[in-house]
Amino acid sequence: MKNRIRVLRAEREMTQEQLAELVGVTRNTIISIEKDKYCPSLKLGYRIARLFGVGIDDVFTYEEDKDGPSAEE
Amino acid sequence: MISMKYFTYLICTFMTACLVAALIGWSMAAGNFLIPIIAIPLGLIVILACRQNVKEVIGDERVNKIRSRSALRTLEVLVILGAIASVILYSYVVSDPLAPMIKGRVFTNDDGTSSMMINMYRPGSMESPENLIRSTTIKNINAMNESEAMDYSQFRREGFLENERKGIVGMTIGGSLVALLVIFGVFYLYYDRKY
Repeated sequence: MKNRIRVLRAEREMTQEQLAELVGVTRNTIISIEKDKYCPSLKLGYRIARLFGVGIDDVFTYEEDKDGPSAEE
Repeated sequence: MISMKYFTYLICTFMTACLVAALIGWSMAAGNFLIPIIAIPLGLIVILACRQNVKEVIGDERVNKIRSRSALRTLEVLVILGAIASVILYSYVVSDPLAPMIKGRVFTNDDGTSSMMINMYRPGSMESPENLIRSTTIKNINAMNESEAMDYSQFRREGFLENERKGIVGMTIGGSLVALLVIFGVFYLYYDRKY
């Protein structure tokens, strides 16, 4: 799962700490999401998208090849 | 209300846990069983009160995921290790009846001195003369020779066997907790790096 959080955040001059506080998660979670290491839940995904004022498709992009059924493990 | 950082909260929790553990240990040794009843709920209240005053986000979905995965892996590892360890340790209980039974009796002599008779019986047998392996009489327990002292110390040790067993159980539980925390910590760090 690719995302544009870093770009959207930079556009709004928002720090990771600020974003984390606004969506109610830790800064490490934002770092992990930005690095594509952690795939957020649908709820958190919507919260982030709503905060940036865009649709969830504009923030997250699902990649079929990379995220196979065993990708979570 | 005073807000605190997560690290401060961890220090408070650790200190409270140490204090409660020390109080329980001391009260058990002193034979006062009222203190743990007060100390444990009080400690929990202090920890919960501190937790409510943490201004940072303590746990989110990523942290929960890491914790749940670490806990699951820890459980898997401990089940295997626990099964092996329990079989090994239980084998000692099975072999326990093979140890000889030692009994002692103190009696006062006419001259005012105290004598002691120590009898050693066959393993797993009744306390009867036909099962007697060895018998030692210490004429004066305040003036023992080397051989008598060795028998006496063995007898004393036998008397404290029950306490030693309780201590071993305590150490086993303590060791298991440490192992649990270490294994959980290792898995936590692994999944923290992964996600």
